[in-house]
Amino acid sequence: MRIEEHPILGTYKKGEIVPFTFDGKTLEGCAGEPVAIALKNAGVMVHRYTRKEHKPRGIFCAIGRCTDCVMVVNGKPNVRTCITPLEAGMDVRTQYGVSAEQPDKGERK
Amino acid sequence: MKRYDMIVVGAGPAGLCAAIEAAKCGMHVVVYDENAKPGGQLFKQIHKFFGSKEHKAKIRGFKIGEELLEEADALGVEVVLNAVVIGLFPEKEITVKIEEHVEHVKGDTILIATGASENMVTFPGWTLPGVIGAGAAQTMMNLHGILPGKRVLMLGSGNVGLVVSFQLMQAGCEVVALADAAPRVGGYGVHAAKVARCGVPFYLSHTILCAEGDDHVTGVTIGEVDKNWQVIKGTEKYFEVDTICLAVGLSPMSKLCDMAGCDMEDNPAKAGFVPIVNEYGETSIPGIYAAGDVSGIEEASSAMIEGRIAGIAAAVRMGFLTKEAGDAEFKKQKTALEGLRQGMFAPGMRGKAITQTEEGVAISKNLLEHGFVAEEEIERFPGVTHRKGIHPVIECTQNIPCNPCQDACPKHCIKIGSKITALPAVDPEVSCSGCGMCVASCSGQAIFLVDEDCGDGTAQITMPYEFLPLPQEGEKGIALSRSGEKVCEAQVVGVRSAKAFDHTRLLTIKVAKEYAMKARFFRREDAR
Amino acid sequence: MNDRNRKIGEYIPAPDDDVIVCRCEEITKGEIRRAVHDGMFTLTEIRRYLRTGMGLCQGQTCTRLVKGIVARELGIRPNELREATGRAPMRPIEMCILAKDKEEKE
Repeated sequence: MRIEEHPILGTYKKGEIVPFTFDGKTLEGCAGEPVAIALKNAGVMVHRYTRKEHKPRGIFCAIGRCTDCVMVVNGKPNVRTCITPLEAGMDVRTQYGVSAEQPDKGERK
Repeated sequence: MKRYDMIVVGAGPAGLCAAIEAAKCGMHVVVYDENAKPGGQLFKQIHKFFGSKEHKAKIRGFKIGEELLEEADALGVEVVLNAVVIGLFPEKEITVKIEEHVEHVKGDTILIATGASENMVTFPGWTLPGVIGAGAAQTMMNLHGILPGKRVLMLGSGNVGLVVSFQLMQAGCEVVALADAAPRVGGYGVHAAKVARCGVPFYLSHTILCAEGDDHVTGVTIGEVDKNWQVIKGTEKYFEVDTICLAVGLSPMSKLCDMAGCDMEDNPAKAGFVPIVNEYGETSIPGIYAAGDVSGIEEASSAMIEGRIAGIAAAVRMGFLTKEAGDAEFKKQKTALEGLRQGMFAPGMRGKAITQTEEGVAISKNLLEHGFVAEEEIERFPGVTHRKGIHPVIECTQNIPCNPCQDACPKHCIKIGSKITALPAVDPEVSCSGCGMCVASCSGQAIFLVDEDCGDGTAQITMPYEFLPLPQEGEKGIALSRSGEKVCEAQVVGVRSAKAFDHTRLLTIKVAKEYAMKARFFRREDAR
Repeated sequence: MNDRNRKIGEYIPAPDDDVIVCRCEEITKGEIRRAVHDGMFTLTEIRRYLRTGMGLCQGQTCTRLVKGIVARELGIRPNELREATGRAPMRPIEMCILAKDKEEKE
């Protein structure tokens, strides 16, 4: 949920609203804001499932350190979505394990 | 190979201040920062800083960041962003990743100002989406304008936990509880008090037992711990939350110093593994300096001074500043730094139990155990006095290095004196005009204007207010006590805002006069 | 911690052994405790033995946690344990970038 008006900061400077896809579904976010923020606004909590235990992970540090929020962005795996600016038309996918491999394309490793 | 008089790693408060001082002396300085925005954590700090007027007290953190950036820019400091320093070598060479390649850069002097990283705690479910660091919460709400969650549990009662709890409420979240395994509140009492009076319950000696939820957090269970940190059976409490925020301390991010071969120590007084530095911030390798949290966790105010000292020392080393001029400047900064390192929260006081203030007043036990000063405790502090008519009531009960209130009163009715940590006292001889400058100037939001008897059976209380929506004059609501409990009905009789108040609104409420010393916050009727 | 003959007793399972400590490599507290009893007394050894701190984030989150667990198992204070060696690159970096030095033009 976005903060409309903040008592100290007022309103936030945001980029124009652009479409992007999350697991094939079209969502909207503000251009230039981190992909993770656009996903958070859309209510997406799970960014990936881990390699060994297949456990869900999402935003943890939000500053690009912990690498928990990595996803497959435009086909590239392990992209830290909390520090990757959103661009129109981006293809963002849930990451399974540490590769770009998607579960429907064969056995998960 | 590119060469600079000084390379600074980290564009936070320490790094920027060092760069500014060095550039002032004519040095060619570059600052590398791995983030997309400079300023370190300053741009997430929306509260007014403590300290002395000379050192940017009562200015909000993000404003300080803007000022430093402007100053650095005007002096020709080159700030390179998205520049990740991946290596530092003893011959004062760095490797830095910029865009899609690696650059090798040489510095005649190098300052490491990489700051800190957040500590974490483990518990079942701590990897679930919805468990976040306090820094993440600040990044989301203060930089990107998005709520981290609707209902939040905060773990950690240090200044970060307290400040972020307040910020969460300012952004519009509900903080359902604040827990800490320690038996006492770790941060400034004034920060705790402003959280407590909003109605956030404090659970000291409590730890998180587990986070609940399948794909994301849906709840959390906390429990009380005994002296040996063992959970006491039967004390479990469950809260329905969507977010668990962890604020359990910071560690110096000093690996670069270690890699360069600087002598290191693991010093609990500095909160971790740090380079050993002399009083100029110079490490065991001549010409390599460290300043700010990387050399010991402290406040941003001290990081800025440490940075300035290192910048001056580098300028002297390189001959851009004479030894005499450098010494004079150093002495000035050192005095300021020592001023900040005093009081109950000074670095040397970590872990010590304090029973009395410097003035000999017994400290508020309730503040340490529950986050607010109890009614029977408040009267003994020098800022709390009574008289006819409007007057300030200063609920500042711990010795912290902060004095803006002293200069805020145009009539000089607030006295701290030359010792910056002294508790503010109210001079009963000086009349109060009710201007409210003291209320807005207090970074701890601990000053109230009270007229205990307006003559018609009511009292009026003016308090700092930093929430939206802003109550309107005439609006009825509920007065809350220091603990955030309902005291009585209240009516807003004044809402003031002014440029000099810097976004702190002054809310004046009217209550029955017997509640003059009880009512300390206002809740709108339609609020939860 | 060079005393290889140090007696630290048997590994005793604990109820919180299955809590993840290294988030990237998904190493549990129990695995770390057992590794100490397997003879891994230094943080560098633990890192090589279990891969704690060697995942994507390079130990940003777990370094301090691992240190605490190992120290407790050895019966010493955490600050008595030497930090694991710090090496470049300090941050995760793609190999193709690491191997690409910028061409010097001047």
